[in-house]
Amino acid sequence: MLLHVRHETHYHYTPAVENAQHAVHLRPNTGVSQTVLQHALHISPQPVQQREWLDGYGNSKLFFSLQTSHDELKVTADSVVQTHARSANTPELAWERVRDAFRYRAGAAYNSAWEFAFASAYVPRHEAFANFAKPSFTPGRSLLEAAYELMSRIHNAMTYDGDSTDVDTPALEALQQGKGVCQDFAHIMVACCRAMGLPARYVSGYMLTQPAPGQPRLIGCDASHAWASVYCPSPDTDEASQWFDFDPTNNRAPGEDYVTLATGRDFLDVSPLRGVIRGGAQHTLDVAVTVTPIET
Amino acid sequence: MYADANGPQRPWALDLFPLIISPDDWTGIELGIQQRTRLLNHIMADVYGPQTLLKEGLLPAALVQGHPGYLRAMQGVQPAGGMFLHIAAFDMARGPDGKWWVVSQRTQAPSGLGYLLENRLSISMLFPEAFQGMQVQRLAESYKALVDSMKTLSAVADSRIVLLTPGPYNETYFEHAYLARYLGLTLVEGNDLLVRGERLYLKTLQGLEPVHGLLKRLDDEFLDPLELRADSTLGVPGLLQVIRAGNVQVANAPGSAFLESSAMLGFLPALSKHLLGETLSLPSLSTWWCGEQAVMQDMLPQLKNCVIKPTYPGTGMESVIGHTLSQRALDEWAGRILRHGEDYTVQAYLPLSQTPTWQGEKMAPRSTMLRVFALPDGQGGWRVLPGGLARLAGKNENIASMQRGGSSADVWALSQPAKADPALGAPTAQHAEPAHSNPVPQNLLRQRKQPVTSRAAENLFWLGRYTERAENSLRLAQLTLQSLAGLDQLSAPLLAWITDMTISNALVLKSVPAASHTAQARRVFERSLIAGLGNLNTHASVGYNLRSLKSAASAVRERLSQEQWHVIVQMEQEFFRRCNALAPAGPSAHDYSSLEALRTLDVASHYLAAITGAQTDRMMRDDGWRLLSIGRHIERLGTLSGAMALGFETGAVFDDSGFSAIVAMFDSTIPFHAQYQQRRDLDALLDLLVLSQDNPRSLSWVIKSLKSRLLKLPGNAPDREESLTATLPALIDMLVNASQNPNVQELLAIFGTCKTSAFTMSDQVSQRYFSHASSASQSLSA
Repeated sequence: MLLHVRHETHYHYTPAVENAQHAVHLRPNTGVSQTVLQHALHISPQPVQQREWLDGYGNSKLFFSLQTSHDELKVTADSVVQTHARSANTPELAWERVRDAFRYRAGAAYNSAWEFAFASAYVPRHEAFANFAKPSFTPGRSLLEAAYELMSRIHNAMTYDGDSTDVDTPALEALQQGKGVCQDFAHIMVACCRAMGLPARYVSGYMLTQPAPGQPRLIGCDASHAWASVYCPSPDTDEASQWFDFDPTNNRAPGEDYVTLATGRDFLDVSPLRGVIRGGAQHTLDVAVTVTPIET
Repeated sequence: MYADANGPQRPWALDLFPLIISPDDWTGIELGIQQRTRLLNHIMADVYGPQTLLKEGLLPAALVQGHPGYLRAMQGVQPAGGMFLHIAAFDMARGPDGKWWVVSQRTQAPSGLGYLLENRLSISMLFPEAFQGMQVQRLAESYKALVDSMKTLSAVADSRIVLLTPGPYNETYFEHAYLARYLGLTLVEGNDLLVRGERLYLKTLQGLEPVHGLLKRLDDEFLDPLELRADSTLGVPGLLQVIRAGNVQVANAPGSAFLESSAMLGFLPALSKHLLGETLSLPSLSTWWCGEQAVMQDMLPQLKNCVIKPTYPGTGMESVIGHTLSQRALDEWAGRILRHGEDYTVQAYLPLSQTPTWQGEKMAPRSTMLRVFALPDGQGGWRVLPGGLARLAGKNENIASMQRGGSSADVWALSQPAKADPALGAPTAQHAEPAHSNPVPQNLLRQRKQPVTSRAAENLFWLGRYTERAENSLRLAQLTLQSLAGLDQLSAPLLAWITDMTISNALVLKSVPAASHTAQARRVFERSLIAGLGNLNTHASVGYNLRSLKSAASAVRERLSQEQWHVIVQMEQEFFRRCNALAPAGPSAHDYSSLEALRTLDVASHYLAAITGAQTDRMMRDDGWRLLSIGRHIERLGTLSGAMALGFETGAVFDDSGFSAIVAMFDSTIPFHAQYQQRRDLDALLDLLVLSQDNPRSLSWVIKSLKSRLLKLPGNAPDREESLTATLPALIDMLVNASQNPNVQELLAIFGTCKTSAFTMSDQVSQRYFSHASSASQSLSA
């Protein structure tokens, strides 16, 4: 599928901001599930200095700074992405075997998925996640099957509520109140997997939503999306093909209608735009995302 | 972690006896610590580089990626000279057999280098002969090498190194200030620095100055709110970008905290063989990380003979000594370790050896831990600072920690007997250094002029203002109490002036009825004045001014002499102690003793005289001092012109006793009598208090001093349009003209102008020279 994604972030400040430092994750990268054909980032006001950097997870991270007074900041990212069908390969591997591979023994083989096996800022370790996950991880069960069921159980246990949480809500709080947004659903799934000793990561991106029948596609009504990814090794595949995506918000496996923006341990590693500003005590934020299929 | 800056000072307990380490023991420690530091630096280089230790299974990911101290933002960074660690601290214990063991290591922001120095200065002065005779190794060279090494690595001629502190609320701030002063480094807080174009700058009165090296005493997670903790207000946004670009040396490179885990000790012997091809010469206590299944199973039956320690920081868990636990408690610990083995590290238990200490009147043994430091040797390696910090446990305690009320002792590392050249008979150069020589290495003295940071400037300015304000409020309170306590009938103008002055200076609330002729009204007024002296809820009481003076001083402690700081602390403590004693005994006993109150004020005045003396006579006259002085003069101009105006409004100037009170408020009683004897006319008054060129409290003199100080500040030349001094000459002219044919209305107007000018000038100075709290940084996330 050929998709155009526009992601607009717009800040208004009162009083004006004197200077600012920002870091953004807005450039999608080419990977097994997608090829990025075009990308343009427009920042207003024009930064005096910027530098792009590949973070530890292979995401593009752009730093920029503004040294002159400004009362608004507008960042617009346009990307054209060709998405691919996901591999049909679903290895049958007992979940305990993966767990045991991530228990340290002196001299044991290392694997880069270790990085995603530990608690992180937004995904702390807590018994509540283990308790929630356990019913799905019965002895000897296939990891992917267990993960699929876990996803469905999170989807059913949680109510989607856009006003119930914000970007700083920890996963535990969302689980306890049974409400949240896609970020919370994804964090909970990641936390449950890690509680079982399995590496899991957080994926930020976009999905194509279908307008109601007979209605035109609305501009800017989509939002950035997030889901979880679980590690399941299989022989003869490259490392990137060993991660399997699950979207607990929509209770489905992501497909060609999904665009991956960045992957990390949790939201904090991949937040689309972060900044430290001097001044601007009051500010408003508007984020608009539009995903449009391109007719070919 | 943070103590109240205004709270009681942490008692500085230093034992009389130094811990003496024999030449052989010291040589062993030296070699072992050097080796361990090399090893730790290698591990940093590997973890932030190729990660072969992880890949080969020599180091568990749980102790790197699973440790909060591992910083992904530092991945790939290779600092100049490969120097990740400039300072490493090692805590050591001595076993009953006299053997030294490493117990733990600190690399993130180790404390002690300042305490150690203070200990050395105190103890070597107490025992000069012993110090000289025993050939104790000297410290100065090692400190000098630390700064020199950072300068060399920065590869910039004339590089600037600063010491980054979390600020006066941190419990070790004393040490930061002390160390900065000793090393000749500017002491800065995060707000003093800013990043532009991947370079680091210091905000000074002169503008932005480049910074090339950072000796940091801030924990890593607070360093950069853009990439690390977003809620940190102590760091510098963008700092990690500067580090990655290689534009600043940081001692130590951020991301070393994972090395501090006690679990790491268990892996070091194998890592040393792998990385250095060497066996560790100085052993650490046997240590087992329970995250490895087989190890955990082995350790569970051993808990009784061991110490259980947390693997990760921030859990709030304290070390647990196995043999102090009941069987049930031991079983509970075993259960925890079974469930989450990776969280726990088990270490062999070593009862601390004891050293003799001086406890008041007798000697007594105390358990001792030794902290030693590795510092750069200037050739790309490390040397061990020949000395250390001995930490002594409290009585019957087996854990030595200064936080737990333990004390410390100096450490004398003895050198191997000097191989003196028999022909010359001279000791080596190192030993020629006399015991009382100035501890500051010569080339540090020759550093270029210290910049004044905007923050220091602001604190100095307020130190000046609060000093003056304290002095004025003290004097006014004294005057008022003396007048009211007198037996004579007070004249109406004097009563009015006193009432208005105390109210306008907020020493007494507006709601208190004016002091009138009735004895009762006078008592009520007096009582409310005394009751308010130490009241911290009003923003102008004598106590509030003294405390604010101390706060401002504590933020610029590195610029004040130790004596000056101690006088400030004592003044404040004694004032509040005496104030508390002034409180009436019971609800019915309203009899505040005015005599006691006056004594309290007298004592504070004596201290204050010492403080103002030190300010005028014992501080470097740089731009920072100028701002202190400007603060004092602005405050003086405001208060005294107000006092004059009230003198005319109430008619006190035309009244004998009122006249004397005003002269006293200007602290000019003695010069007045000397010059004018018993004259009580307006001309004499205006001459001495308004026009005099010799009296440091005459309004003209104050304005002139303000002008000359302001002119010396950067960007303030008289020909420049924005010069802050522009209005001052006119002010003096007006005062001179108005005083020639005194007219009350005209004088009142001009005193009013003087008072307004003082406030305006204060705003202008702060606008131009200080960075502002109103524009504090905040973090965004979308």
